[in-house]
Amino acid sequence: MEITSNWYLILSALLFSIGAIGLLIRRNPLVMFMCVELMLNAVNLSFVAFGDRLGDIAGQVSVFFVLVVAAAEVVVGLALVVAISRRRATTTADDLSVLRG
Amino acid sequence: MNYDNDWFLSVLTFTPLVGALVMMLIPKADEAFHKAIALAVSGGLFLFGTFYLLTEFDFDNSGEMQFNFDTNWISVINSRYIVGIDGMALPLVLLTLLVVPLCVIYSWNHFPEPANPKAMLILILILETGMIGTFVAEDLILFFVFFEVVLLPMFFMIAVWGGPDRRYASLKFFLYTLFGSALMILAFLSLFFLAEDSAGNSLRTFDIQALTEWGGANLTRTAGLLIFGGMFMGFGIKVPMFPFHTWLPDAHTQAPTVGSVILAAVLLKLGTYGFIRIAIPILPQAAVVWAPWIGLLAVIGIIYGALGCLAQTDMKRLIAFSSVSHMGFVMLGIATLTTFGINAAVFGMVAHGLITGILFFVAGSVKDRYHTLEIKRLGGLLIQAPRMGWILGFATMASLGLPGLAGFWGEFPAILAAYNPANGVSETIFRTYMVIAAVGTVLAAGYLLWLLQRTAFGEPSEEFANDPEIVDANKFEYVAWAPMLVLIVVLGIFPNLIFKTSDAAVEKSLHPCLIAEGDDLAALDCPAVFDVEVAGG
Amino acid sequence: MDFSAALPVADVVAFNRPAIDWHAASPELILLGFGALLTLVDVIFLDRAKQYTAALAGIGLLVTMVPILTLANDMSETGPRVMFDGAYVIDEFSLIMKAIFILSGYVVILLSTNYIAEGDYWESEYYGLMLSAILGMVVMASSRDLISIFVAFELLSIPSYMLATWKKRSLESNEAGLKYYLMGVFASAIMLYGMSLLFGASGETILTKVNASLSSDPLTGESLSSSTPVLTLAVIFVIVGFAFKVSAAPFHNWAPDTYSGAPIPVTAFLAVASKIAGFVALVQLVFVGFYARADVFQPLMWILAAASMIIGNLIALRQTDIVRLMAYSGVAQAGFILAPLAVAGDVGDQALASIVSYLAIYAAMNLGAFAVILAAARKTGSTSIESMNGLFSYAPGLAVAMTIFMFALAGIPPLGGWFAKFQIFFAVVEQGGTWAIILGVLLAVNSVIALYYYASVARRIWADQAPDGDLTPIRIPPSLGAALVLTVVATLVFGFLPGAVSQFTDVGLIAGG
Repeated sequence: MEITSNWYLILSALLFSIGAIGLLIRRNPLVMFMCVELMLNAVNLSFVAFGDRLGDIAGQVSVFFVLVVAAAEVVVGLALVVAISRRRATTTADDLSVLRG
Repeated sequence: MNYDNDWFLSVLTFTPLVGALVMMLIPKADEAFHKAIALAVSGGLFLFGTFYLLTEFDFDNSGEMQFNFDTNWISVINSRYIVGIDGMALPLVLLTLLVVPLCVIYSWNHFPEPANPKAMLILILILETGMIGTFVAEDLILFFVFFEVVLLPMFFMIAVWGGPDRRYASLKFFLYTLFGSALMILAFLSLFFLAEDSAGNSLRTFDIQALTEWGGANLTRTAGLLIFGGMFMGFGIKVPMFPFHTWLPDAHTQAPTVGSVILAAVLLKLGTYGFIRIAIPILPQAAVVWAPWIGLLAVIGIIYGALGCLAQTDMKRLIAFSSVSHMGFVMLGIATLTTFGINAAVFGMVAHGLITGILFFVAGSVKDRYHTLEIKRLGGLLIQAPRMGWILGFATMASLGLPGLAGFWGEFPAILAAYNPANGVSETIFRTYMVIAAVGTVLAAGYLLWLLQRTAFGEPSEEFANDPEIVDANKFEYVAWAPMLVLIVVLGIFPNLIFKTSDAAVEKSLHPCLIAEGDDLAALDCPAVFDVEVAGG
Repeated sequence: MDFSAALPVADVVAFNRPAIDWHAASPELILLGFGALLTLVDVIFLDRAKQYTAALAGIGLLVTMVPILTLANDMSETGPRVMFDGAYVIDEFSLIMKAIFILSGYVVILLSTNYIAEGDYWESEYYGLMLSAILGMVVMASSRDLISIFVAFELLSIPSYMLATWKKRSLESNEAGLKYYLMGVFASAIMLYGMSLLFGASGETILTKVNASLSSDPLTGESLSSSTPVLTLAVIFVIVGFAFKVSAAPFHNWAPDTYSGAPIPVTAFLAVASKIAGFVALVQLVFVGFYARADVFQPLMWILAAASMIIGNLIALRQTDIVRLMAYSGVAQAGFILAPLAVAGDVGDQALASIVSYLAIYAAMNLGAFAVILAAARKTGSTSIESMNGLFSYAPGLAVAMTIFMFALAGIPPLGGWFAKFQIFFAVVEQGGTWAIILGVLLAVNSVIALYYYASVARRIWADQAPDGDLTPIRIPPSLGAALVLTVVATLVFGFLPGAVSQFTDVGLIAGG
């Protein structure tokens, strides 16, 4: 059976959904970060698959941008978690309830 | 005659605002100076404005817009700064010019708590700009802006200087009026986009005169009715018409005296003026369809307001309900869509402004002395403060429509006009209204005499019998009240002072199909909506 | 799957260096330079530089205004300047938005000056990050390409996450930052996935080309008279991503928490500049990228606008904290700004003009309101709504200013907000369809609901007693005073001379251009 770009797109959609659902139901900030990473990588996969299908290099180029930005984002996110965990012992998002919301 | 490019009305409108700005720059402590500026600006404007208007206004052409000024304002939406004045607006502008300095004089020595003459006088001057601006604006957006400008000062006047329930009353006033204005602006915008001339070209203008000339031609029936409905909400809430009147008694009861006076004397007229300047001239066909409903709400207002009065225990609240009733007469006159009815309405607006203004002044003075307005605790005003008691008696007589005083000429012709409403408006219905309205005058006599009897006659109640604070009217009160009392008499004896001025303008504002008769009407080839209905078949 | 065969390698080798219009790029370069300079100054001079950093950042922003003015001056001769094959465009729209970003940034820096210095926070980094976030916005205003928009979006978001956490020792601030961060990255992931689908559906990343190819399927060449599921999904994802940024309901949950936890100047920054940047991106996507697909974006915008207005206003009614009140009122305002997009397909010019006017006026009113909140909090130390009680009795100037801002936000003439709201009514009524009229009535009703809470604040200021009867006046530092004067003047001028604003905001339709 030939594996077409559609397979990759379906895989990317699945990964994206897993990431999104995980982000919404998990409460540990670290796991939530991982879910975001999963979503971003699903996006990368989707860009590459579309790039291949359309024969357009823009898809692959986009991935570089996404990778770089995602790295910067994770750095900030981890710094935030560290700052919070210094203040308090546990880090689950549900404990973050000083502010109503 | 060329009436264009005249600065006069702009000067008239913005001088109070300039005065307010000057006062903002002067420190609060200098109270005497603030009072002097406020009086000089409003009083000077009254003297100058009245003199100039009475001498320069061309009364032979009172149907024409005069002192016009027309310039670009917001070009992207083709809204222009157009001001002008005709015989319909003139009495109202003069009324505004008169009432404001009287309010300043009245509050000269007893500003309500928390005493802050600077802020209060600034608000009064801003109000004056808004009120005059509304009466002279000849562009829908300009009208809308001025119409809204009066909201803020009034809101603060009630919220800061008002009675114990001021928080509720001020917000209610504001929310009701803004709700109406929001629908009104939607209606104005729809007019802008839907107005087309007979060739199908979009007019795309907010110019009231141009739209009046267009007169709702080529507008679908539904669109016309909806747009009129939007304006009805905007103006009707301001008047206020039953069932939107509930903000008024609260606002009046809580407002400080001068707030009540300005509210009753001028602010309510912005709504009725909107009907006769904008809604009816621009959309005569929709007006014909709406007229029975407006008339119905008007007579319900007359009766409901009167019955409401009989149930009141607070003097100010009673006067407020009597306002609802009296504005019902004005609206009934407007709903007939005839020159006679609308002339009566213009007269009724001025008369109600003067009479209710003086009633609120007296009520305020009573409150200052007795520290209560509960009717059952008052009494014997004629013994303790005889002159004030007689003034109250005079004002109630004027208010119940005694012939020879101004109130009569507002009510009686309005009732009479309902006998023969405009073409296309059902005579049967309006004659029924006429009967109901006549009953309303009887009720009015009832509650006003009741009020007078309970407060002015009889012996002073024990708690106030020897109260040294209860003294007769002082000189500031006399100065503030005298011009209004004189005018009530003068207008009562010479009603033509106003009727002659407004008549031509009213006639010009009404669509010919509404008022033409016999052969003239046949020659006009009017749309079906104006078909004459013969009463009783 | 063999990727190498699919890649057009020859094209990649024949790389032509794109021409760069240095004049057009100079605002961005100057901002970048000052951002780097601030960091360097901090590294070299350490604490001795502290007192100059705010001034340096302010000067940087003012200098950036110079090329924007010269570019605007040349615009009539040169027309729009296009770089990188249409990915980066300097036109009237982008210039006016850049000016709004820079001026709002300047006001935020004025607000920050004393707050940051007195609060024992890091200073140079603060201003450096602020400038990078502003740089992101300025880039956003010119980005007409999916990837540029994404990069600009992140350039303004990542510093914002850090700024929101700036009160390092406060748990609230940390929490605010983390919530903002999690929502922000979630939104960018959704937006990116939408962009990848859009790229797949259109085969392009440059917005004008995306728009051109959206009318036909790039693979089959079939005409797309009706939208495909992928395309619909792509548009929805991209718009939802930005809906987070502009805090449109139902994606607004982060805003109140983040606003109340972050330092007040940062809150002002997020509520104004950052939100406007989100709208700029939305406007560009809608008017340039998806304009051919009004059938997809209009219903979506209708729902977002209606939901934001209703939810924002109803929740705002129950707030007891002034900053949270501003947050929910901001949600409702977002609904107002989205409303013209729901009719943009038919009345593009008017919809665009109304949004641009609204954004300009919104910036002045909201920044001003936050300036007053900041000034009042200097004395009361609290942002509860009661802290506004009796403000008039001890700080009449602040009271008048706050009153002006509150009623301007409520849209009462003759204060600034009325013309903004009016323009939106204008666009919606011009379209005139049944749905548009329903939206118009919703707008009208919501104006009234909003008035309730704005007027309540004004009433507290004027009619209530100061807490504890404490009538000591508030000392207003000069920079804060300058910010107040600027915003009050702007709000009044917008209200009295709306013609002056609309002259600048009448930027014409940018679709296809």
